[in-house]
Amino acid sequence: MCGLEYEPGGGRCRERGCALAFGGCRLHHCPRCGYETPDESGSVLARWVRRLLDRGPAAAKPRATLADLGPGCEATVTAIDGDAGLVARLTGQGLTPGTVVRLVQRVPSYVFEVGETTLAVERSVAEGIRIR
Amino acid sequence: MREPGRAIGADGRSSLRRVVLVGNPNVGKSALFNALTGLRATVSNYPGTTVETAHGHTPDGLEVVDAPGVNSLVPTSEDERVTWDLLRGVKDDPGAAVLQVADAKNLRRGLMLTLQLGHFGIPTVLGVNMTDEAEARGMSADLEGLEVALGVPVRATVATRGTGVAELCAALSQARTPRNHLPLPDDVAGPVAAILDGTAPLPSLETPPAFVARYHEAMLGHAGEIERRFTASPRADRRGAAFSRALGRLAVHPVWGWPLLVAALVAVYEIVGVFGAGTLVGLIEDGLFGRYLNPWATALFAHVPSAFVRDLFVGPYGVITVGLTYGLAIILPIVVTFFLVFGVLEDSGYLPRLAAMSDRFFRVMGLSGKAVLPMVLGLGCDTMATMTTRILPTRKERILATLLLALGVPCSAQLGVILAMLAWVPASAGLVWFTAVLGVMMVVGLLGRLLIPGSAAPFVVELPPMRRPLASNVLAKTAARVEWYLKEAVPLFILGTLLLFVLDRVHALGVLIRLGEPVVSGLLGLPREAAEAFLVGFLRRDFGATRLFDMARSGALDTVQIVVAMVTITLFVPCIANVFVIAKERGARTAAWMVGFIFPFAFLVGGLVRVVMRGLGFWGAP
Repeated sequence: MCGLEYEPGGGRCRERGCALAFGGCRLHHCPRCGYETPDESGSVLARWVRRLLDRGPAAAKPRATLADLGPGCEATVTAIDGDAGLVARLTGQGLTPGTVVRLVQRVPSYVFEVGETTLAVERSVAEGIRIR
Repeated sequence: MREPGRAIGADGRSSLRRVVLVGNPNVGKSALFNALTGLRATVSNYPGTTVETAHGHTPDGLEVVDAPGVNSLVPTSEDERVTWDLLRGVKDDPGAAVLQVADAKNLRRGLMLTLQLGHFGIPTVLGVNMTDEAEARGMSADLEGLEVALGVPVRATVATRGTGVAELCAALSQARTPRNHLPLPDDVAGPVAAILDGTAPLPSLETPPAFVARYHEAMLGHAGEIERRFTASPRADRRGAAFSRALGRLAVHPVWGWPLLVAALVAVYEIVGVFGAGTLVGLIEDGLFGRYLNPWATALFAHVPSAFVRDLFVGPYGVITVGLTYGLAIILPIVVTFFLVFGVLEDSGYLPRLAAMSDRFFRVMGLSGKAVLPMVLGLGCDTMATMTTRILPTRKERILATLLLALGVPCSAQLGVILAMLAWVPASAGLVWFTAVLGVMMVVGLLGRLLIPGSAAPFVVELPPMRRPLASNVLAKTAARVEWYLKEAVPLFILGTLLLFVLDRVHALGVLIRLGEPVVSGLLGLPREAAEAFLVGFLRRDFGATRLFDMARSGALDTVQIVVAMVTITLFVPCIANVFVIAKERGARTAAWMVGFIFPFAFLVGGLVRVVMRGLGFWGAP
């Protein structure tokens, strides 16, 4: 379930195409967009789940990354892990904490949009981009 | 640091002599450069690097330099380091200024550079380009407000149509240092100031200190605020670029991306391999050189009394009849058509998408998606492809790609003969050839990935919008690259021919052929004449392959022998020019290692294929 996997606060689905998107989307990834439920119910559920998670021990919280996001979903970047050269390059291309990213696809490469910039990265890089 | 706001030529002298174009990649810098200089440009590698920079002059005599596209002024790549050097020059030269080009649709990243130019203290004029595309998306910007906020002249342009270029030119004399009083975090301000002042060394490209990323974050934060203050962009409205966006998405789509990829590769092969390497080479080699130039040269040298001089120029290994004919008649048409297609693909925005599609495949071989370019190019000419392995980010990737090119990628001349030979054998035998070559590449790549120290850089590539390429841009680039090729490769062809000539003179060729016979007959089970084909094939590639082809056609080889010969000659170093280029690009020692590995290895695999095929029950004449 999308909410559980990536701390649902900032995740919003904009496109109906998400549920139909071919490839990596593992059905559970983006329930709100899949069910076409209105935003309110989605964010209420999300807030509830988040509150639930926040109460639990910190270690139990899965660290959500771009690699966990479903195609068509948006999230806010919180941090970028990786070697210094990679992080310097990514930030230079406009990917900084606080920016909103929108995942386009997961296969054959992770493709996502940051504003008007589109980047393609391999899985290991996507796994280093932490989101909320 | 310059006083913010100090103008160049403010005292009335028109002292501005040089303008450096700076901007993010794909913001239309080259188009603006062409609009400014009207194609009177020379493209050359920046001294000591492999990065292309273009120089030209405006009709008024103003020198224009097109710096490589950058995302940050603190360099994190070789391109950015070149731009850094050029900016240093601007800072020290009171007659120089920066003309920054920004994408009107993506001002945040452009403004980050403007703010950095402010830190660096460089007089700047900002051209906000592609305003037509921004308007089509319902975006608008308050350029007057931006001008006041930044303290530099800001002009709107559509460089591809020449709109606003004259106004931008007129504003150049008012170049000023961008205003940047925005606060930096304490742990960032110090190191950045030290680098910009030149009191601290540049951070290393591979492992920059953490403050570089923090600097980018801070600058982007400020740039984002400025962008929000002076632009209005209803985010939902993206209709203007619907087609380009859809095409861009399809090109990396998990399903539809593949047919597009195959179509693109087939198109490249048809134009470069069939038209360039077939039709054009035929016309130039047989027609121009075979019928006119070489007979003329031969007739000319017939009057030279010395047989030595005659042979040196027009003999069977003559500089003119072989060296120049190869470099100009066979390779040049391939190079021209390839660079033309390459330029179109490059400007269309498809190449990064091709890399994104093929990244996973190349990961297996220790390479990244970026290696797809040299590999495809290798099907045209391995020598040229080896030169382009420079675009790969790490040394390990460059060595691996060079090795795989020399080992497993048949060039168009080889491929032509191999495909013709395939027609003589059953399809299953053809499959054996394909499997053997691809398998060898995968295995060697896998081993190389483990054995060669270092690692492949993490794959990150920006996907620019798909665009229709500008013909003028593509032609200018092609011309510059062809000139570069002529300067770099043709001397190597002549050198290779001279080596052949010497070997032939001292009768070493015959000795070498006799030495090779036991391997060819014993290990590969081929007739002894094939030894000559292999040796000559290395020195004169098509010649050797053609000899094998003749042997196959005359029935001297059976199915297994044909496949064994095909596999062995495919895995061979394609030609002597390739060895020279490997030595030039990767160093003589690496070249010696590669050649020392490839020769025995090619014969070993050939022998293995022979055993396996006999075991599988391939017998008899084709």
